[in-house]
Amino acid sequence: MTQPEVAAAPASTDGSGQRPILEVTNLRKYFPVQSAGVIRRTIGHVQAVDGVSFQVEQGGALGLVGESGCGKSTTGRLITRLLDPTSGSMKFNGREIGNLSNKQMLPLRKEIQMIFQDPYSSLNPRHTVGTIVGTPLRVHKMVPDKQVLTRVKELLEVVGLNPEHYNRYPSEFSGGQRQRIGVARALALQPKVLVADEPVSALDVSIQAQVVNLLQDVQKEFNIAFLFIAHDLAVVRHFCPDVAVMYLGKIVEIADRETLYARPHHPYTQALLSAVPDVKQAAIGGRRERIRLEGDVPSPVNPPSGCRFRTRCWMAQDICAKQEPPLLQIGPKHKVACHFAGEYGAMPTSPITLDALGVDQHGTPVSGAAPSTEDLIKPGFSDAYTNLETHKSSSERLVGDRIVDDPKGEGTATEK
Amino acid sequence: MGIQPTELVVSNTDEPEVKSQDVAGRSPTQIALDRLRHDKIAMVCLAVVAVFVLIAIFAPLLTDLFGVELEGGDPVTDTKADSFPAIGPPDYGFTWEAPLGLEPRTGNDLLAEWFYGARTSLGVATFATVAATLMGIVIGLVAGFARGWLDRVIAFVIDIFLSLPFILVALALAPIIVSRFGAQPERLEFVQLCALLFVLSVFGWMTLARLIRGEVLSLREREFVQAARVIGVPTRSILFKELLPNLVAPIVVSISLGLPAFVTAEAGLAFLGIGVVGIPSWGQTVNRAVEFFSTYPLFLYAPVVGICLLVIALNLLGDAVRDAFDPKTRR
Ligand SMILES: Nc1ncnc2c1ncn2[C@@H]1O[C@H](COP(=O)(O)OP(=O)(O)O)[C@@H](O)[C@H]1O
Ligand code: SF4
Ligand SMILES: [Mg+2]
Repeated sequence: MTQPEVAAAPASTDGSGQRPILEVTNLRKYFPVQSAGVIRRTIGHVQAVDGVSFQVEQGGALGLVGESGCGKSTTGRLITRLLDPTSGSMKFNGREIGNLSNKQMLPLRKEIQMIFQDPYSSLNPRHTVGTIVGTPLRVHKMVPDKQVLTRVKELLEVVGLNPEHYNRYPSEFSGGQRQRIGVARALALQPKVLVADEPVSALDVSIQAQVVNLLQDVQKEFNIAFLFIAHDLAVVRHFCPDVAVMYLGKIVEIADRETLYARPHHPYTQALLSAVPDVKQAAIGGRRERIRLEGDVPSPVNPPSGCRFRTRCWMAQDICAKQEPPLLQIGPKHKVACHFAGEYGAMPTSPITLDALGVDQHGTPVSGAAPSTEDLIKPGFSDAYTNLETHKSSSERLVGDRIVDDPKGEGTATEK
Repeated sequence: MGIQPTELVVSNTDEPEVKSQDVAGRSPTQIALDRLRHDKIAMVCLAVVAVFVLIAIFAPLLTDLFGVELEGGDPVTDTKADSFPAIGPPDYGFTWEAPLGLEPRTGNDLLAEWFYGARTSLGVATFATVAATLMGIVIGLVAGFARGWLDRVIAFVIDIFLSLPFILVALALAPIIVSRFGAQPERLEFVQLCALLFVLSVFGWMTLARLIRGEVLSLREREFVQAARVIGVPTRSILFKELLPNLVAPIVVSISLGLPAFVTAEAGLAFLGIGVVGIPSWGQTVNRAVEFFSTYPLFLYAPVVGICLLVIALNLLGDAVRDAFDPKTRR
């Protein structure tokens, strides 16, 4: 059921949807923290989102995963322009939307819609379903006033609700049905991008799959690009060909689904994945060891220096406190932000990021060594990337050197 | 583009429906009114209030019906030498000529005065309630939705108005108006009435505004407001179409508290001589009747009973309405 308009859209590629519809570069959102009292001074900032870059392809789906409080919802709200970004760029179809005023944004609201987390608070309890789903139609004059009701009924049917229930109130529906109403409302404007902020987290497990299936159906049917926010990796697995993992306002690993689930390279992703039950491994009798993270997520007002994950990372070393690991591309569709990125149990012994940062093993800048010119905040993937295999051999050589050096009682040249 | 109406596909769901009996839904307000309908005390009070409203509306008709006349007394023919009325109480028995008796000294009919007193009382209270409620709603909505300095300015103004002593302002306003418009008695009456309505309204909106501001502060974080903003609903529509329907309960509560309070305030100010002038008012009647209480108690009883009955009925009705609209507070 291809729509002619969609087919005619300037698809620069073979139709597999390679064109990014949404491109986010180095996006930041700092919320000011104000002192109490009459004269409010800003005494700090919640670094809710701190330099996030990603892209979503036309009709594609990117999963955004992370513990609660890591800035997922804030990212979603920035893209839907419920919040103004502190800095960075957001491009919809190549057009910058981060700096648009409310008025300028209005026509674009049709294109970028949102599904909310809590079906009990996302529908106005004083409005009938017909009013709720009809509001976007009326605001954007999608159909003539007389046809609004007909269209509302069609939309209710699309999301699997009885169209004759249009004059009921939200309180008369179950959580799953309410979430369907929310989907119908978002679909009313025929958006090209849908931000789904934990759309099933508040639902019973038995209902979750139905709603995810519905979202999958509408995505295929109407070729909508999804930014699917979730707090665990299990939910997005079947939905999103691409997955980004966030920790404390930053993306720590982003990759295609196969790579991320089979070969996660960031310790945090590995920890998250170890909590996800794995059917395949259970079938062959093997059980993945569960990685338990110690401590709590640090406050985003005062994030740790260097790598933000270092307070809970079992691999943390000196350099992790000194240098923030850049989001380095290490595979055709794989980026990771860790000095010691590698598969679980086979992490490299020397930092992989030294060339990119122009520092030595301990995080001290090396004079003369310029940081690589690689564009580390670019959304999407490049053709060239850092090859970890070549790095591995060179790093083994390096470590070997040191072992040889040490008995002599002198450090390596770089150490001094 | 995108979803074409003709191409919609029904995806099926096996989730059971919560309810399937009646197709037409009932709004929370309808449910509340239903609840109210089953409250006997509320219905009795509503009847009492309705009677007062009818009296107020049809005061001229009723005076004609009883064959009485407002301010139609003649001190010479209607009162005796001791200034007490020549017919009816307190010196003679009940007479249909003056069912509530005549006023000493002037000989004016007290029933007519009572009817028109009801009119003043309800009219002033209704106007003040409506005005104060509208002010409260708009100011509360704006304060709650505006962030930053506007919210703080409004909060400050609310505090100022709450700290101004209402009686003092009313007392101070009266002589100013009299000295200004004293020369033209017809204008004076009207100006006094306007001043009364103004003072009552201007001192009646703060509580509701505060209440609504608080509600809006919590409502605006709800996701349906965010959803409206993502859709692009204009701010004015968000305030009045999305938020206002959720504020029915506090508004109804405020009205139910405001009406009886304004009835009392009108009577109280009239008693003090700073309310309406030249228009019959229960408060004024009470004021004039006090000195005759020992000899002519009916003079005082009629307006007092009127005030008490109306205020009690309004208060009980208000309680019932509050319970119906906000079941959580039910005792
Ligand atoms: N309006 C706001 N003002 C101040 N801090 C906020 C605001 N919204 C979110 N935050 C903070 O930003 C961080 C990220 O929040 P959020 O994006 O909601 O996380 P998530 O959706 O991943 O659970 C949290 O620490 C939260 O307290
Ligand atoms: S950079 Fe260091 S602290 Fe951060 S995840 Fe990698 S090893 Fe752990
Ligand atoms: Mg969230």
